[in-house]
Formats: sequence, structure tokens, C-alpha cells
Amino acid sequence: MSEQELVAQLRYGDEEAFKKLVTLFQQKVFNTALNFLQNQHDAEDIAQEVFIQVYHSIRQFKENASLSTWIYRITISKCLDHVRNKKRKKRFAFISGLFSEKNSLLHDAPDFEHPGVQLDRKEDAAILFKLVDTLPESQKTAFLLNKIEALSYNEIAAIMNISESAVDSLLQRAKQNLRKKINSTNGKVLSKNNV
Amino acid sequence: MKSKFEKREEAILGSIDGIQPAEVPPYFYTRLLVRMQNELEVRKPTFILLRPAFLTASLSIILAVNIAFLFQFNNQQKLPAPQSNNKATIESFADAYNLNTSSVYE
Repeated sequence: MSEQELVAQLRYGDEEAFKKLVTLFQQKVFNTALNFLQNQHDAEDIAQEVFIQVYHSIRQFKENASLSTWIYRITISKCLDHVRNKKRKKRFAFISGLFSEKNSLLHDAPDFEHPGVQLDRKEDAAILFKLVDTLPESQKTAFLLNKIEALSYNEIAAIMNISESAVDSLLQRAKQNLRKKINSTNGKVLSKNNV
Repeated sequence: MKSKFEKREEAILGSIDGIQPAEVPPYFYTRLLVRMQNELEVRKPTFILLRPAFLTASLSIILAVNIAFLFQFNNQQKLPAPQSNNKATIESFADAYNLNTSSVYE
């Protein structure tokens, strides 16, 4: 079944077509969400939301972009919204914690361990994921799509709605920033490694 | 020759090279369908008079009308009552129709 036929059937509300769409894209959507959110439960939740939105707004899908690009865009937008909400809640919890009588401590989430990383690289990957999380949104998006999803500059440009040269620039800046962040924490990283 | 720091930097940056995609949680599609079904049930149209938006709007209008009447009533009470005028009107009316007489034989 071609992409156009699949979209046409989805527009008719065909359940089989929807099942096929989920089977085709669930891994991409779930993995993108997992890389952005660094939490299995949140990633599953967002992946479900993405497919629900696709089901409800398939009529608004303009076929000037590919279905894959459109689904990636929805996924990234939902992930970024989720991250922003989480940060807002964290800030609010911190402020309300200052005024509350209970001296409850705020704990950071534990280090994220991606299940697809090789065992001997897990510690380094956890450090990298933590640093990637501190990058500006556009750099983080370009870096994750290129490095983990292995998408080409052309595909990333279509998803982010920017030029290929802008993608290249974002990736260069992301790498530079990561190097700086690694260097600034190198003492800690090395000592941890030597223990 | 690369320093210890440079090697560490390379190791961290290269740690996600060749990363394998994570497995989608089991029963993903089934859970998705259940969630969609639940959301559809929540979205089921309710009788318009019972919708929270309608109820809130109606109550707000009733409250606004009540407050407006209360203000108007208070303002009217504060104004001096035009009793003298009324009196004059009644007396002139009685004079005009000869109603001030106590007996019909006068």
C-alpha cells in the first residue's frame, strides 16, 4: 500500500489503516520521544498522544511533505511542550518549596540509561544524554535527529522547516557546546572514572 | 598525542555511535486503542443544559442581573422622595374635582 493510499484510508477512518500506520511508525515515534524525554513512561505517553493527534488531524495533512516528516514534526512539538511543562512545574515546585513549611528536598531525575547503548558505553552515554538535555531546543533537536535517528540533513531540514545549511550550523554549534560542557565537567568526569 | 581529557571527550561524544533503537513497550497498540476509547467516552456529547460551560454562563448572567438590580434599588433609595410634588398634585386634583368637601350637600 502506498503512502497516499494509506492517507486516503485513514481519512475514511479505516481502523486497519490506522493499525498499519501505528505499526509503521511506532518505533520512530517512541524512540524520538525517548531520546527527547529520557524517560520510558513519558515517551510511551507522548507516543500515544502523537498517534491520537494523527488520527484526529489526518484531514489537515497536506501532502506537500511526507507522512514521516509530518509525524516527526508532531512528535517533536509534543516532546518540546512536555519538556517545557516539566521545567515549569519544577520551577514552581522549587518556589513553592521555599515558602512551604516542609523542608522537602527537590531531587533531580536519575541518569537516563538508553537501552540501545552498548554496555561498556552506558556511563559515557548517560553523561552525554545529561549534557544534550542542557542544549538549546533547536540544537538538541538537530543533534538527536542526526546522531540517534540517523536522519539526513535534508530530512532534518524538512522536519524543522529550515535550510540544510541551518541544520549544519545547528549541529556544529551543538557539538561545540557539548565539547565545552564536557571540558567544564571534565574534572568531575575523570575523577568519577578513576574511582 | 591526545591528552587524557581529549580521549575522555571523544569517548563521551562517541558513546552513542551505533546506538540501537529501543524496543516499543509491549501491547502499545492495545493500550493506545484503550486510551482513544476512553477519550471518546469522555468527549460524548452531553445535554446542553447540563454542560458546565452553559451552567456557569447562566449562573453568571443571573448573578450579574441581580447585582445590577441591587445597585439600582440602592440608588433609588438614596434619592429624596418627591413627596411635596405629589402632595401638590393630589391637592390640585382634589380642588379641580371639588373633592375637598366633606358633605355632598355643601
